[in-house]
Amino acid sequence: MKKIFSLLFLSGFTFVAFGQDFNKNLADARTAYAAGNLSNSRFAMEQMLHTLDAAIGKDILKLLPPKMDALAANVKADNTTGTGTNSGLGLYVQLTYGTGAKTATIDIINNSPLITSLNALLALPFVGRGGDGNQKVVKVQGYKAVLSRTENSETKKLDYDLQVPMQNTLVTFKMTEAQEADVLRLANTIPLEKIASMAQ
Amino acid sequence: MKILYLTCIVSGLCFMQHHANAQLLNKVRQKLENAAEQSVNKALGTDKNTSPAPTPSTSSGSRARNKGGAGLVTTPPDVKENLTNAESKYKAGQYGQSRAALQQAMLGVEMEIGQKILKSLPEAISGLKKNAESDQVTSTGWGWAGLTIQRQYTDSNEKELTVTVVNNAALLSAVNLYLSNGGYSQTTGGKQDWKQTKVKGNRAVIEYDENSGYKLTVPVGQSSVLVYEGVNFKDEPELMTAANAVDIAGIKKMLGEK
Repeated sequence: MKKIFSLLFLSGFTFVAFGQDFNKNLADARTAYAAGNLSNSRFAMEQMLHTLDAAIGKDILKLLPPKMDALAANVKADNTTGTGTNSGLGLYVQLTYGTGAKTATIDIINNSPLITSLNALLALPFVGRGGDGNQKVVKVQGYKAVLSRTENSETKKLDYDLQVPMQNTLVTFKMTEAQEADVLRLANTIPLEKIASMAQ
Repeated sequence: MKILYLTCIVSGLCFMQHHANAQLLNKVRQKLENAAEQSVNKALGTDKNTSPAPTPSTSSGSRARNKGGAGLVTTPPDVKENLTNAESKYKAGQYGQSRAALQQAMLGVEMEIGQKILKSLPEAISGLKKNAESDQVTSTGWGWAGLTIQRQYTDSNEKELTVTVVNNAALLSAVNLYLSNGGYSQTTGGKQDWKQTKVKGNRAVIEYDENSGYKLTVPVGQSSVLVYEGVNFKDEPELMTAANAVDIAGIKKMLGEK
């Protein structure tokens, strides 16, 4: 019970902190713009974007499944970042599952530079289907995706990497020591459509 | 045998009759089609008989060419309005919509910065006049490209200077790599194609290519780059003189760079 209260308190505190950042930067952006100091206004807006991305990331984390079969989400190690436009990267969300050799990871990146090349792979029917059978195009919840497989040279077990580009958002689902059918089944538990609408 | 001949003759006659009927039917069909086409053309006002003026043929599948139109109205996003919108959406917990409004506000500010920088550039450089029509301010307000400002100077012949300012450029890291790493070879085949130089006290990289001419890249502050591209410039000093005509310190200040 104490833990729940602590968590609620922390979430509330984080929201207030976000709000303060946003409001402070909004005031700065307005003041600088009114004074004709455009670059300072722009900088304050970048900070606001950072705050918003972090808030969106937190909301997306709440949507992600708490478990991937027996693998529990490592909630304490989750990661959301909003970098504004300075480094070109927008929203970034990561949640990992499991602590042993068998793990799963969900990465959500907004404005990923990979999207263009992935979309090219998906658009051309003769590309993206490796002759060695290690890469293929699949559909997850109606979205086309690229599924790649790599074999661990030591354990001979298979690791999978599923990349789902959705407009300007890239969702990547990785699983180590897994079977293809499990990867696809578990990928279907990720609410892709909701994530896309929130992230873009 | 007689019966066989008779059968052949009868079959032949039947076939001819059938062929004649088919021809007749085809002619009737053709006439009906022509009549229908004419009446449609009349209704649409495209009848050849009623409009004898020659019109460009579109039957070959080529599309009509646009010959006029005022283009789009230039409407940079309203910064204040978008900030208010971003604030209200944020308060309502609609973060995605708040972000969209904020991106528009940023776009508006960046466009204004771009216009200010364009105004600060000289009207003419080294005898080349500015080509106002090619002035460009582009910004994604978001993402990988950032703000790009471009101005072209030309003698309306073959000589041309393009000045481009790129903010938040991935290009910057590449140029800084050149500048910070002295180990890179500066000559190829005994010819020097690029080297380090200075423009108004700023370290820069100058390159020369037989086909594209001179290119001078000057990192400005932490995240911006100024690029000069000179086509048909006589030599390196001529390009350097042209580069010195631009107020780099002013651009740096407008971009908020240190």
